[in-house]
Amino acid sequence: MRFLGVDTGGTFTDCVEVSPSGEIRMDKAFSTKEAPEKAILSVLEQMAASEQVTLGEYLSGIAAFSHGTTVSTNALIQRRGSRVGLLVTRGFEDVLEIARGPVGRVGGLPQSLAMDFLHTEPKAPIVQRTLVRGVDERIDADGSVVRAAAPDDIEEQVLSLIKAGAESIAVCLLWSFKNPTHELLIKHVVGQVAPDIPLCLSSEIAPRLGEFERTVTTSVNAFIGPITKQYIGSLARSLSSLGYQQPLYIMKASGGVTTPDRVFDEAVSVINSGPVGGIIASRYLGQELGETKLITADMGGTSFDVGLVIDGRFEEQTSPFLDQGLPISTPSVKIVTIGAGGGSIATTDGYRLRVGPQSAGSDPGPVCYGRGNLDPTVTDALVVMGFIDPQTFFGGRYPLNRELAAQSILERIGEPLGLDLYQAAAGIYQIVTSSMADLIRKITVEAGFDVRTFSLCCYGGATGLHCGEFAKDLGVQKIIIPYAAPVFSAYGVAIADTVYTATQSMPSLIEPTEAFVDSFNHCIEALLQKCVHALGEDFFDRSNVTVYFKLDVRYVGQMNEVALTWPGKITAQDIPRIVTLFEDAYRSRFGATAVRGKNPLELINIRLEAGEPKFKNALMPLPASPEQGAHQSTTRQIYHPKHQWIQVDVYDFSMIAPHVDIAGPAIVQRDATTIWVPTDCSVERDQFGNLIMRLQGESRDD
Amino acid sequence: MIEVDPITFEVIKQRLWQINDEQSVAIRTISSSPIVVEGNDFNVGLFTADGRLTTAGIGSLVHVGTMSVVVKNVLNRAERLNDGDVYLINDPFLGALHQNDVVLVSPFFVDGEIVLWIGNVLHHPDVGGTDVGSFCINARTLYQDPPRYFLKLCDQGSLNAEVEHTFSTNSRLPDMVALDLKAQLGAIHAAKERLRSLVDECGVALVSAVANRSIETASIQFQTLLKSLPNGVWSTKTVMDGARVGDDALHYVKCQLVKEDDRLTFDFTGSSPQVDAAVNCTYHATFAGTVVPLYSFLCQGDIDWNDGLVDHVDVIAPEGTVVNASFPAPVSICTIGMRWLVTVAATRVVADMLQASSSHRDRVCPSWNVAANCNNVFGLTADGKRFGTLLSDHRGGGAGARSFADGFSHAGQITSFASSLGNVESAEWKAPILYLFRKRLIDSAGAGKYRGGLTAMTAVIPRNSGHVQLNATNTAGTIYSNAFGLNGGYPGVGSQALIVRGVDLDSIFEAATTLETFHDLGGSPSFLNSKASESLSANDALVFFAPGGGGYGDPLDRDPDLVVEDVRFNRVSTVCAKQLYGVVLNESNDLDVSATADERESIRKKRMQRQSATSVLKNSESRTLICETCHDAVSLANAHAAIFPPKKASPWAALKSGGDCEHMGVLELSCPKCATLLSVEEVDILQCSFAGTERHE
Repeated sequence: MRFLGVDTGGTFTDCVEVSPSGEIRMDKAFSTKEAPEKAILSVLEQMAASEQVTLGEYLSGIAAFSHGTTVSTNALIQRRGSRVGLLVTRGFEDVLEIARGPVGRVGGLPQSLAMDFLHTEPKAPIVQRTLVRGVDERIDADGSVVRAAAPDDIEEQVLSLIKAGAESIAVCLLWSFKNPTHELLIKHVVGQVAPDIPLCLSSEIAPRLGEFERTVTTSVNAFIGPITKQYIGSLARSLSSLGYQQPLYIMKASGGVTTPDRVFDEAVSVINSGPVGGIIASRYLGQELGETKLITADMGGTSFDVGLVIDGRFEEQTSPFLDQGLPISTPSVKIVTIGAGGGSIATTDGYRLRVGPQSAGSDPGPVCYGRGNLDPTVTDALVVMGFIDPQTFFGGRYPLNRELAAQSILERIGEPLGLDLYQAAAGIYQIVTSSMADLIRKITVEAGFDVRTFSLCCYGGATGLHCGEFAKDLGVQKIIIPYAAPVFSAYGVAIADTVYTATQSMPSLIEPTEAFVDSFNHCIEALLQKCVHALGEDFFDRSNVTVYFKLDVRYVGQMNEVALTWPGKITAQDIPRIVTLFEDAYRSRFGATAVRGKNPLELINIRLEAGEPKFKNALMPLPASPEQGAHQSTTRQIYHPKHQWIQVDVYDFSMIAPHVDIAGPAIVQRDATTIWVPTDCSVERDQFGNLIMRLQGESRDD
Repeated sequence: MIEVDPITFEVIKQRLWQINDEQSVAIRTISSSPIVVEGNDFNVGLFTADGRLTTAGIGSLVHVGTMSVVVKNVLNRAERLNDGDVYLINDPFLGALHQNDVVLVSPFFVDGEIVLWIGNVLHHPDVGGTDVGSFCINARTLYQDPPRYFLKLCDQGSLNAEVEHTFSTNSRLPDMVALDLKAQLGAIHAAKERLRSLVDECGVALVSAVANRSIETASIQFQTLLKSLPNGVWSTKTVMDGARVGDDALHYVKCQLVKEDDRLTFDFTGSSPQVDAAVNCTYHATFAGTVVPLYSFLCQGDIDWNDGLVDHVDVIAPEGTVVNASFPAPVSICTIGMRWLVTVAATRVVADMLQASSSHRDRVCPSWNVAANCNNVFGLTADGKRFGTLLSDHRGGGAGARSFADGFSHAGQITSFASSLGNVESAEWKAPILYLFRKRLIDSAGAGKYRGGLTAMTAVIPRNSGHVQLNATNTAGTIYSNAFGLNGGYPGVGSQALIVRGVDLDSIFEAATTLETFHDLGGSPSFLNSKASESLSANDALVFFAPGGGGYGDPLDRDPDLVVEDVRFNRVSTVCAKQLYGVVLNESNDLDVSATADERESIRKKRMQRQSATSVLKNSESRTLICETCHDAVSLANAHAAIFPPKKASPWAALKSGGDCEHMGVLELSCPKCATLLSVEEVDILQCSFAGTERHE
């Protein structure tokens, strides 16, 4: 039985099939924006055809079909979701309008755009102000009822929302995570007066302190939940009618997959799940290759995404922004991003040279595409420098226009700055490459680690020409460019674990008292119950299931928490261990002077993370072709920022036998991807088809 | 100094920016203060060896202009500087804005030489003094203000525990300030580690050259920008109503901007004499407040925020005035006192300058959350523990309209694009209070072709608490709003705090069908002076709102459909829609096209019948206004004029004096040819004669 991952992207729908023995097959089809299912079926048909079987036969041999979709993300970005009616505590109907002030306007924007004070237009709201109703109720910070909710009032508000055209209902009352009785009463009333309307309660979807983020989470879930559920339902039916008998799995931003029966409740997690596939695949590869600390780097047309995998765990962000102004309280795998891709535009005012965040994307794309864009991009610089061969890009289907690229770089960058064409092109390359290094430094430093102790896992079409340079800059010793790099996200989707996460806020002082220990353990128990409820009574009896907890802890009074990994229930004796874990985390980042031992700690959230692996096979060595040697196909002149014009050997990836060292400077060409091996570096192909680049010694050439 | 090519320059400069930003990350993570984490009231910087700011963080802009003064004072005063030393300074006469703003600076040594300075500043929630929260609204001299420090916190890398103790024990919130100090130290540690590895990599000469050249580059860019702007002179006046508890006199900040070639001169001559109240500015604070709009509207994201623009800016502030108070004047409220008004005034004249240049109109914004309606709530919890917090809702004010679109509602502050409101739940978790409502305030924005941004009204009541002390520390705004509109747009509403005593929660919940404004709380409100010290009992609700933003352009030129949308979405009432915008809605809240046309025509007719400004204004200065409709220049003397009570602009204006005011009115100036509004201003009525005006219309 085989594992299948299909990942819908902006341009291509990628498919990866992993056999029980670990063998990998891959294919692509053009995405079909309006009906993503079409492209999925096309790529499946291509996979079946290449085995000369029917689609039905092919699908009946699949053990698990996992899917990464952009349907929810697109619906959110383009505001094409359901008309959401929102119920909040009376007196706080403007929670989404006030939006914590600038958080709802500039939150999530790149800094350079946020600094442009007068041009930070807020995006259209998720909920129309005319579809918000206040419920006559109030619960206080202790969870005590200040004003009891009344069924009559609730019914009136719900009916009024429906009359006003609400297609789904979101509920977020103050302190409901501490005392959900009023939200549950609303659920009861809705069940009676409008049993068919989709309903999301904040106490179920995001029971965490902070009503703005909780309201956003619940409202977005109600906004894209119905469309997500409908899409997944229809895909599941199509697959089933074609002969697929196993469950369908859907990728989430929290680092695993879920199933169609839970996709409505977890719809908010499906948003922005795209880049997570790659980081899951990196984790798998890292485990197989014995890498305990990995930085993942993915450069595409518009952005550069970086993540960390440390001892098999992902870094996480506890309140990610889904879109400009939309922070949520559902944690996701931490992926930091900057607008540095092949299409990123270089600009200068005659004093400074900057690259991005504006991008020409893939349409019209770089100047050299000849489709109307005249602002020079990173790809144009690479063409001018000779790193990209204009004749073989796109497999030679669309030759690139080097002359246009050169003219644009010279006129718009070189002349204003007093640089010649090649200095200007190399400048664009250096600035974008060093901004990548900066981003990687930032994420590792902020996680409390030394970047030099990591290896890099690089994928995405444009990364290969930069990774050798930024790795040298960072002092990283090893780069892995995976065999499945062209479809790496789909690969990750195929092998992702089933993951269930649940959060419960329980703000309280951490102290060795019976009361604290009891409420802690009670909270753990409640989270386990929730998990069983979601994943089935037998979940904990199944083999391979892993469960652990995260404690969000801070010094009393602080505004941000540090997440500590914790196995489960506690006794009073465990308290000092929690304190030690917390202080260790602190010291490694901010130095010993930042620790304040006498300051009491408070616990804000306990979070459960349960996983069940669905794929646990070893990597499969590829049949090597050729048997030995590395066959240099040609040579090329390139302009390098430090060495100026140099002649480098160009190798065809398919002609490199395993374990043959190729010394830089060199270029490895693989389909549409080009990999630059800098001077002093070497690259080899391992038995699994991964390229391993090594940076020799500590010496730097600058 | 070594030569640096533009590419290496950009790469290293970006590294320095990131290293500095690590300070911000550390401070946000460690600080226990909502003022810091939500309010963004801190900043971080790297400085050249001689103390010039080369890289500023994205915290509060008002600190950008002062930190380098502190570094220079340490350079001048410290007997000996060693690697690992950290100085702590909060003395406003040595460069801190006010005593709460504690600055930490540390020299970064390589091979025995100072290469750079690392610094950060953070608003501590209480550093002592006569009043809770250290905004000393009762102080009459500097010696009733919080203590001023010039201390060596770390000596060659080791923390001086006695200094740390002395600093924190002088605070009413010793645990919070101790953590904030940890945050500042952690930030310096983080930056130092990374600077060390940068210098190891690239060499000290290159790093130092880039740091210096960053300032030169910004200076040249700023100069080029100034040369592209028209020369001219613009002036304005901002007003504070009440400088301390018990005072309701008016105090002024006058500001004249002269732009000539590549120089900007801000002249504050004519501002009020310094007061025996803590709202005074030191010169450093006035300078810092003045340059804020230059960073946010001139530099934006294009020119680095560092000392590059300092070369092109002169600030004239006569000694002995509220904008350059002499020692020992109290200054602990300066940052939300006269410093705030300095920024408001500078913002207004900068907007006038940009308005005069057709290619820079997209950067025009006449006002932005023009008062800090800060409310410090301190006291004891029911079980006797001390608490203290600054409510965050004053950041919910509106920004002025832009020349092409409405102003931002709940815009945060012009000093910081990330200065946000906290969650209600966070505030209730930190302090024994219960929010009754936090609502967008209808009719709070200045009317205009483009409407100003709206503010919000908040009500809180003590819950499960012992004694609660409220110190209301509003910049101004209970009479004059200072929320300028431009080009015929109305001013936004001012700011106000009030107490409704004897609130019975059960009966409010029973009686009210909505909780929107203080009218829904029953009882009779007592409107507070801009500085007030009050006790709150369990049944006393504090209600307050920040200012709204001013409008841009004549409201009669606003697209009627947008006014209808504003009414539907609760931003504008039907009454104001008709009176200010001339827009009439029918019973189903749709646009009544013909009634709207009639109403607008009738308003224009009335304007045409008005008298000229010469007969209304006693001492009118000579000024020229531009009519955007006729494209004509209209002299002030010829413009048609009428004066109205402030409540015409908004039902929430000048609440303290019932919406009318014996000495302040709203002056409308319109074009004598086409009746388009040219300017709407708050004026001193004593300077006007009332013959034939529509004052009581």
